[in-house]
Amino acid sequence: MNAKRARILVIDDDPDFREAMTAILESASYEVATACDAADGARKILSGHPDLILLDIMMDSLWDGYSLCHAIRTSKDFNGVRDTPVIFVSAVRQIAGSRFGFKGEDQGLTAPDDYIDKPVKPDDLLARIERVLKK
Amino acid sequence: MANTAPVILVIDDEEAIRDSCTQILLKQNYRVETAEDGSAGLRKIKDLKPEAVIIDLKMPGTSGFEVLESLPRLDPHLIAIVITGYATVDSAVEAMKKGAYDFLPKPFTPEDLRVILARGLERRRLVLEAEALRQEKKALEDSFITMVSHQLRSPLVAVQQYFSVILAGIVGDPGRLQDMIRKASQRLEGLLRLIEDWLNLARIDQGRLVGNMMPVDLRKVLGRVIETLGPSARESSVSLEWEGAAGSAFEVLADEEGLEQVFMNLLHNAVKYNRPQGRVRLELREEKDTAVIEVQDTGIGIAQEHLPFIFDQFFRVSRSADKARQGSGLGLSIVKKIIEAHQGRVEVQSEPGVGTSFIVRLPKRPIGEDRG
Repeated sequence: MNAKRARILVIDDDPDFREAMTAILESASYEVATACDAADGARKILSGHPDLILLDIMMDSLWDGYSLCHAIRTSKDFNGVRDTPVIFVSAVRQIAGSRFGFKGEDQGLTAPDDYIDKPVKPDDLLARIERVLKK
Repeated sequence: MANTAPVILVIDDEEAIRDSCTQILLKQNYRVETAEDGSAGLRKIKDLKPEAVIIDLKMPGTSGFEVLESLPRLDPHLIAIVITGYATVDSAVEAMKKGAYDFLPKPFTPEDLRVILARGLERRRLVLEAEALRQEKKALEDSFITMVSHQLRSPLVAVQQYFSVILAGIVGDPGRLQDMIRKASQRLEGLLRLIEDWLNLARIDQGRLVGNMMPVDLRKVLGRVIETLGPSARESSVSLEWEGAAGSAFEVLADEEGLEQVFMNLLHNAVKYNRPQGRVRLELREEKDTAVIEVQDTGIGIAQEHLPFIFDQFFRVSRSADKARQGSGLGLSIVKKIIEAHQGRVEVQSEPGVGTSFIVRLPKRPIGEDRG
């Protein structure tokens, strides 16, 4: 698959972040879709089958980033998209680092394919995406 | 059903004392345990976790004093009442110094024991309650700090993100570039407003409002607010109606700046959350000794389940895609505090899809009355 034509879904409740991500991703010729919360994200994952998901884990609502990722990996509702690569995006470094890995699995959480802190550096983000898509 | 009566432990080497204490306490519906020496007593304290313990000071082996000394590390909230023989003041005083709640000199009556124990248990209850409140306060403070730092950080992270994109030379289209810069600027404006709101709240909480109370003409204040909001209302195609504009001065004792802030906030919201070609109606009227100001809009309305929380700090109703650009959630809590500082009340009525009405009541100041 030509990685450069990949479709990326950005799930984040901050419209300015979605805007900035769209600019970065489009500059690298990716196709971009956006969602404003986990529920919207879930719908777009199932209908759009993105090649990669950028997921904000700081959105506040009952269904947050962690549980969405867990659902994608384990729930039968997401059977067709189970292996979609997910990159966590966080505004708070400590939270991102502490909640996955072995400890995370215990809490019923699933590790993402990568994680990155806000604000993201465009070349850093693009490099990570390329790496994840190559897997 | 579980028995929740307090457990009282009696530690005394004399069987007669253990028995009579047990009898007295059972009559009060306490649960009673006994131990015949200090070490057995300490074991039972560990295992049974009583609320109070009655200790004979003079016992062979581990003495009453030694038991007392072990209590703080076992249970700092345990109420210890010591039984002293021959009523020597010295041993009683020493026991109190070692942490006993009170002492019972032999011989004592059932009433003596009942009264001291009841007082001791009440004190224990109050101490535990204070402790729980302190912890609750700390938890609230922690979540407050988290909330504030999140609100302060969020816009700055967004602006940094835009800068990062712009500086990387990613955005070629000048229109899009302008758009990003404008949006970044809006986030900064929002942050400034937020800080202003925080300072206001802090000022109000410190009671700084009361000092500036003077006779204020409500008509003038409301008139100014309507005039200020005119342009933005026109921009949103919302009509502003002002009823009660005519007439003589309508005075209340108030902090003029505070009141202006209240009505700016309410009217600004009424315009913002309105529908195109919608209407905002401001009415000033008198009901007995009260000035009533009603701000009514034909906007999206507020759901019944949100209404009780609408004046809470940080509360924001909509979780729409525009969430990040919304207000701080502090506006209405500030409004409520200012109005209450004026001995007034504010209430809200709403019907989703129809509109919302905020009603402010302020005590009217009779004209000609001396101040103070």
